[in-house]
Amino acid sequence: MYRNNMTRKEIERAFAERSAEDQRLLESLKNCDRRHFLRTSMKFAGMAAAASIIPSHGFQIVNVANAAEMPGEDADIAFRFAYVSDSHLYAKGMDHRFAKACIKAVEDVNALDPQPDFVLFGGDLAQLGRADELALGQQIIKEIKAPVRMMVGEHDWYFDMGDKWKEMFGADQYSFDHKGVHFVVLNSVVEKDFWTEKGYTPAERMAIVAGLDDNRQSSFEVGEPQRAWLKKDLAGIDKKTPIIVFSHSPLYKLYKKWNFWTDDAEQVQALLQPFETVSVVHGHTHQLLTNRIGNIDFHGMLSTAWPWPYAPEGLPEYTVQMARSDPFNQFDGCGDGRVDVLTGGRINKHYNLWSRNPRTVTAKELASNSVPGPGGYAGPSY
Amino acid sequence: MSIRSIGGTSLFVAVALVVVGAGYPASGDSEQQRRESVGASDGWASRAVWACDRRKMVVVEGVRPDEKIPPARAQLVADVLMDLMRFCNEEITAKIAINQMITVSANGRVYEDYVPGGPLPIVKASFGEPTKREQMIWKAELDKMVAEGDRLFHSDEIGTNGVACAMCHPNASNTHPETYPKFQTQLKKVAVLRDMVNWCIMNPLEGKELPYDDDRMRALEAYILSQRAGKPLDAGRH
Amino acid sequence: MDRSVSTLHRMILAAFVLLTTVSAVWAGEFELPVPADVIPPEVPADNPPTTEKLELGKKLYFDTRISTDGTVACATCHDPRHGFVDPRGKATSAGVGGAMGTRNAPTVINAAFLASQFWDGREPTLEAQAVQPLINPIEHGFPDHPAVVKHIEGLGDYGPLFAAAFGSDQITIERVGQAIATFERSVISFDAPIDRFLAGDAKAISEPAKRGWELFNGKARCNTCHGRIDVLPLFTDDLFHNIGVGVQSIDFDTVARKAAAAVEAGQSVDELALADAEASELGRFLVTREPKDMGAFKTPALRNVELTAPYMHDGSEATLETVIDFYNRGGNNNPYLDGGMRPLDLSDQEKADLVELMKAFTSSDLDRFDALAKLAP
Repeated sequence: MYRNNMTRKEIERAFAERSAEDQRLLESLKNCDRRHFLRTSMKFAGMAAAASIIPSHGFQIVNVANAAEMPGEDADIAFRFAYVSDSHLYAKGMDHRFAKACIKAVEDVNALDPQPDFVLFGGDLAQLGRADELALGQQIIKEIKAPVRMMVGEHDWYFDMGDKWKEMFGADQYSFDHKGVHFVVLNSVVEKDFWTEKGYTPAERMAIVAGLDDNRQSSFEVGEPQRAWLKKDLAGIDKKTPIIVFSHSPLYKLYKKWNFWTDDAEQVQALLQPFETVSVVHGHTHQLLTNRIGNIDFHGMLSTAWPWPYAPEGLPEYTVQMARSDPFNQFDGCGDGRVDVLTGGRINKHYNLWSRNPRTVTAKELASNSVPGPGGYAGPSY
Repeated sequence: MSIRSIGGTSLFVAVALVVVGAGYPASGDSEQQRRESVGASDGWASRAVWACDRRKMVVVEGVRPDEKIPPARAQLVADVLMDLMRFCNEEITAKIAINQMITVSANGRVYEDYVPGGPLPIVKASFGEPTKREQMIWKAELDKMVAEGDRLFHSDEIGTNGVACAMCHPNASNTHPETYPKFQTQLKKVAVLRDMVNWCIMNPLEGKELPYDDDRMRALEAYILSQRAGKPLDAGRH
Repeated sequence: MDRSVSTLHRMILAAFVLLTTVSAVWAGEFELPVPADVIPPEVPADNPPTTEKLELGKKLYFDTRISTDGTVACATCHDPRHGFVDPRGKATSAGVGGAMGTRNAPTVINAAFLASQFWDGREPTLEAQAVQPLINPIEHGFPDHPAVVKHIEGLGDYGPLFAAAFGSDQITIERVGQAIATFERSVISFDAPIDRFLAGDAKAISEPAKRGWELFNGKARCNTCHGRIDVLPLFTDDLFHNIGVGVQSIDFDTVARKAAAAVEAGQSVDELALADAEASELGRFLVTREPKDMGAFKTPALRNVELTAPYMHDGSEATLETVIDFYNRGGNNNPYLDGGMRPLDLSDQEKADLVELMKAFTSSDLDRFDALAKLAP
């Protein structure tokens, strides 16, 4: 796996003070050939960072700073899983940009070394809930080498109220245990019936739900039956057992207009609060999103298809926004990612942002109520 | 009030009353209609007082046509008529209600509140303040265009790949029309809003650009601007 | 203040102005030939352009003796007779002893305007770039800069030129860079048919080229990276993009992912023991160590592109036609491919029109450099 190595010490020394040797090294690097350059690569990176040559968005500063604060943190990783989420596939063949992006994520996940223990699909496999969209998604997801855990999103559900999804992928809510952690997968995109009274057809209902800003739909909720199921599921579990919840909606209340929202969030959180270590990994928001409420960490997943802008209000203060995306680049602001589950059950959330440097939001920084240093976008809101 | 002003005003009122009493100007049907149109609604009596130019009129409610106007109200009539005489070219009718509230109507427009001595709620421009009814009609027409823009903005018919504008811009967020014109790096030139709309149609949406005066382009612009109403203009901001 | 004192002040002022002008003329300062509406290039404060430095730089630039086997000058790979690129027509350039490099030599024309030098942008200035090839074993071949300095001293005929340019006959590597940079900075050219067309001369370019210009800014999506900005009409965004060139020549997917993972884990990339060819294809990433720069290379400026075949950082595209085909299919897929690349679905006519457009980027005033041609090796 990973090992503590001498290079980190050298970097820390570079951060501390620019010694004469460092100066000479920098000088020699200017005139070196490629071989020499590579040989001293890490030293150069550290020194360059100290000299502010690498722009502050360079992820190394964040990682190295974390490393300096948390010696031996790498050794704390118990296991990891990866995710692919919010692919929003149309049934327009493998050359459609959404299909290509989903395939790109699958390739990323398959190339991980070492392989993750499993891969979570975070919901919204299809765009309009059609059977052929789901079939295309299944075809692409099938190529993932590691075992896959599926979670449903609203775009998968509201054409036929989940019939096809359940037929293809099984129950929309379930739980499982893995290496001492209790995982719960919820259907948190339940909506109170808004369609019967108006006489909407299935296609109309799906189209309304598919509109993020279409307020004819209801707010997401987990709902009483599922909360009852959750209560029973958690009943026999020791409070020290780490809990990780997979949910499509965020399980807290960020922005109602875009359903960045779970109506019964407080009640769901109340069921989770008694446990010492709880993390929620959610989809739907298509952006880098971080929150902590009480003892629960909340992490959003990236979409492969497109990024959402940040909501005009309600942004959790833990979130360091990603910068606005470039519409010329269909991958910008999108991606996939990984979760490192630490011993003790807390998680580090790794965002594999395409066309950008990756970002990791760690359990430690959430617990310390601090936001990582210069790596964040502090620009104007969307 | 001084004797002189009482006298002067009384004289004016007397003249006005004479005009009233001496009969109305050549009574064509339109005159009759106008009299009747401002007159007895709800069974209340009212009498009209003309100014000498035959273009300014004050209608006093609660006074029968053959009744003398009580002095205080008559004074008010005179004050209002004098005030209205500033607008030489307009046809203005003022109404003094039972409770002394005054409204005026200029050139057939809707009656607006008026305070003696204060500014007249009349815009001297050729098209003045819209009536309430006009405002309602105009807004309905705008809402229709905004609704069409809303529909296009959220639909997949503008592009060819199923991507809608609303996917990156729910509620037109992150469109920032108030920051144009500005150098738009994707276009490598200074762009106005329609330039960017067309670029997005051609690139992320893989569609065909719209002519600048196409109804669809205008509708999209209407929707975007309506969603960002109230934001201060900030051309060039990135 | 009475009149006599103010007259004195005026005389002093006049004398001062005269003196500075005269001294400037003595120092030989000249203005770079930049068009009026173009943002001038950044010139380091410690290296203002003078005619003496330019003459010295010119001599150094064309001097094949400044190589370990006496065959390689800057002009060998950046030849003024050939658009200031390599006239030998191979994909990459050969240095001392015929050793082949990994890179296609970029042009010197307008290089002064770029924010960085080299395909991976690892040097910020012409001064810094000019002295790198001197110590590259497959270019000029010297082991280090002191050896270069010693060698130039040994040639014997540079002392007076350094004295004239820098005030003393001491030869240093900094001065070598500054002189060559001064010469290169003067290699400026902006007068092409496309410029005249955009200024209003409808006859300046052909009808196919005009259609090509519409495609360039529309369906072919060239302008986002190669756009012509009015105040800096270089046809480059001066940024770095992975378009997938060269990913097929090595197992790029595996190497790139390993390199990114190594950097993320705090390991050094050299521990991967990359072969030179593999490392070379990682491009800008090697300079910044940022995964977003994996396999990214600088967007070349397109002026005179008709003259600078073959194309791309490794010279892998032989003609403008194959370049257009490359973009038409969306480049070469790889895990770090820029998301702006996508199949363009151009017709044969549209492709031909784009090639015609490229030809309209050739400067009409290149005969200004004919005098330099005589100096070429």
